[in-house]
Amino acid sequence: MRISDLLRMGLKNLFRRKVRTILTVLGVVIGCLFIIITISIGHGMDRSFEKQVKEYGSLTTITIDTYGAIYDDNGNWVGGQEQKLTKDLVEQIRAMDHVRAVTPVIYIYGRYISGKYESGANIMVMDRSVFEAFEFPELMFGEYPNDEDNSTIVFGYNQPWEFYESNPTSWMNVKYKQVDLQKDKIFFKFDEWRYQRNPRRKEFMLPLTNVAKMVETKAEYDYNAYMDLEYFEKIYMQYCNTLTLDDRKKAMKELDEYQQIMLNVDNIDHVEEVQDKIKEMGYQSNSLMQYLKPTIEASKTLQLIFLFLGAVSMFVSAISIANTMVMSIYERTKEIGIMKVLGCVVKDIRMLFLYEAGMIGFIGGVIGVGFSYLASYLINKYGKPLFGALVNRGGSYLGGTEVAEVSYSIIPLYLPLLGLGISVVVGLLSGYFPARRATKISAIEAIRTEN
Amino acid sequence: MLKQSRNNKSENIIEVKNARKIYRMGKEKIVAVDDVSFNVKRGEFLCLYGASGSGKSTLLNLMAGIEKLTAGQIMIKGHNIQRMSERGLAKFRQNTLGFVFQSYNLLNSMTALENVELPLVFKHMNRKKRRRLARQMLINVGLGDRLKHKPTEMSGGQQQRVGIARAFVSNPEIVFADEPTGNLDSKTSREVMDLIKGMAKANHQTIVMVTHDKDLAMYADRIIHIRDGRIEKIVDQLAGNTAETAETAEAGGPEENTGQTEQGLEALPAHNPG
Ligand SMILES: Nc1ncnc2c1ncn2[C@@H]1O[C@H](COP(=O)(O)OP(=O)(O)OP(=O)(O)O)[C@@H](O)[C@H]1O
Ligand SMILES: [Mg+2]
Repeated sequence: MRISDLLRMGLKNLFRRKVRTILTVLGVVIGCLFIIITISIGHGMDRSFEKQVKEYGSLTTITIDTYGAIYDDNGNWVGGQEQKLTKDLVEQIRAMDHVRAVTPVIYIYGRYISGKYESGANIMVMDRSVFEAFEFPELMFGEYPNDEDNSTIVFGYNQPWEFYESNPTSWMNVKYKQVDLQKDKIFFKFDEWRYQRNPRRKEFMLPLTNVAKMVETKAEYDYNAYMDLEYFEKIYMQYCNTLTLDDRKKAMKELDEYQQIMLNVDNIDHVEEVQDKIKEMGYQSNSLMQYLKPTIEASKTLQLIFLFLGAVSMFVSAISIANTMVMSIYERTKEIGIMKVLGCVVKDIRMLFLYEAGMIGFIGGVIGVGFSYLASYLINKYGKPLFGALVNRGGSYLGGTEVAEVSYSIIPLYLPLLGLGISVVVGLLSGYFPARRATKISAIEAIRTEN
Repeated sequence: MLKQSRNNKSENIIEVKNARKIYRMGKEKIVAVDDVSFNVKRGEFLCLYGASGSGKSTLLNLMAGIEKLTAGQIMIKGHNIQRMSERGLAKFRQNTLGFVFQSYNLLNSMTALENVELPLVFKHMNRKKRRRLARQMLINVGLGDRLKHKPTEMSGGQQQRVGIARAFVSNPEIVFADEPTGNLDSKTSREVMDLIKGMAKANHQTIVMVTHDKDLAMYADRIIHIRDGRIEKIVDQLAGNTAETAETAEAGGPEENTGQTEQGLEALPAHNPG
């Protein structure tokens, strides 16, 4: 038989038994839908995971804070400890294996002043040598602090905050100002309430003459400013000199202990190892890896379960196709016999039934793909109560902001093809043995049977 | 060329040598065809005639390669039909054999036209050409106005005409017909027989027909009487003489044979369409 005749005859036969064909196709539709949606949710999880990593920093970063929370093996909080973060500790960590870069971190708070306007300032002080190792974002203008000039203050994309009137004539009608970092004259000063100023000294005001600004990252960087540690120590000394004698000593002491130590490990796989070593030294540390690990594992298990369900439903539809084909062959025994006597070669009979089975798979696959796009759309639109918790678990640990536009289900281009391919293959495989059986039918016996 | 060779009457198109078919039902053996030998000449209308259960259908099916021989040999156009591969046999059927069945055996899901087309579909003929041939064939059997009808929408006689159109559409050299009029009344039977014989003679085709009806056997050029799986006698209606096989000479009587021959000679002109 010609291919065109095979196709026509097969379609006609499927059409002849409409209800049964539809029911069998439905099985494939469900199986295909299940597999595509499962994988698409997996992709959704991956995407949101990537997003979180982008938002909260690198997976290879470990931080040590002045307060270390202690967790047991199951991740339950069991207590905490004060931790002294000293220069010594930094050097000890620097000497460890797999540590690529390490820096102390000091958070400083104060104000930016520009004429009659001011704005809150929060600056992270770090060793200028680590900016590169920590893969800091690119700059729109300016340069990161370097050995030649360490005085640059690097602003995140959304920094500084909007300036407002320091002493407005009316609090009901506060004026705001858009400050241009490169043109306007801006000063930084430390918060006044912490230490007493020596009244005979002039208030410490740092003119921001050397600034840089990062491109937008949609991450933490956008809301911080950064300063080099060495430069900070220099200006801090100047600041301390403006304080009363008592407070000067207290303020100076702050330089001995850091608020945080940040380090970068050469490979994701070594994060745990390094954290364990730091623990041996008596310090609790944090890493994104440590929080995301349970989420990654949970999502992997979940995907595995989904995939298993998809496979089961495909298996069920395979049985259903095989059943349909066996039924169809049983009913068409006489027809097959007549065809054989009229000179139909065995190969054509086999092809005919394989084609019918494959066609059921194909039609089911096409409809399944269509439905899975619909289902994906619905999941993304209304699936928040169900999938929100699942996808955003990592975020909740880290107190992450709710992301406005989350895709729980993402269908990449290959996925419909995969779904369709699986459906057709399932159809062909489950049609194979019935088709073989059809070819084995003896013409003489088939002709003797009644319709 | 083909027509010429079909005209060559002396050539044996089918040779049956010591054909034997034994059905085994558990321990019981049923000898359906018992050591039968005869030849069919090209262009001949041969009838296998006998009582019910005598083994006519079995013999026909053996000749068509539908049934497997227990012993012996059947040659069609010099090919040992029992030795052919399944594929070879299918190809052979496409090109050389046509079939008419008692119960028509049309595909109920297809229209008359599609049924007639079917053997040509298996031959990879293109749609347009086979449509034309099938339509012409149906017109020839008088069903030009029933092309789109399904078998269930037609009378038995009409269905058998479709069956005949299907058997002849690929212009086969041999047409096997197992009681083609078995389900029809006598008038329709005669019409159908006229049709078969007319077509076969027009195209110099060889017909092997099975029947238990004496009147219908008269259409044949030669009648092979079968009893209990053996050839009882062979009546050549054209020559008007009777050849008896060795064993049937004892069993049957010569008087009976002559009687049949006379009857045959009388009957033939009456039903002959020519
Ligand atoms: N498949 C089979 N299995 C067992 N026995 C069979 C089979 N087919 C035929 N027979 C036996 O072989 C013998 C011949 O049967 P066959 O069908 O050839 O008879 P027939 O001459 O065509 O009869 P009828 O005129 O009734 O069709 C019968 O005794 C029948 O019972
Ligand atoms: Mg019979």
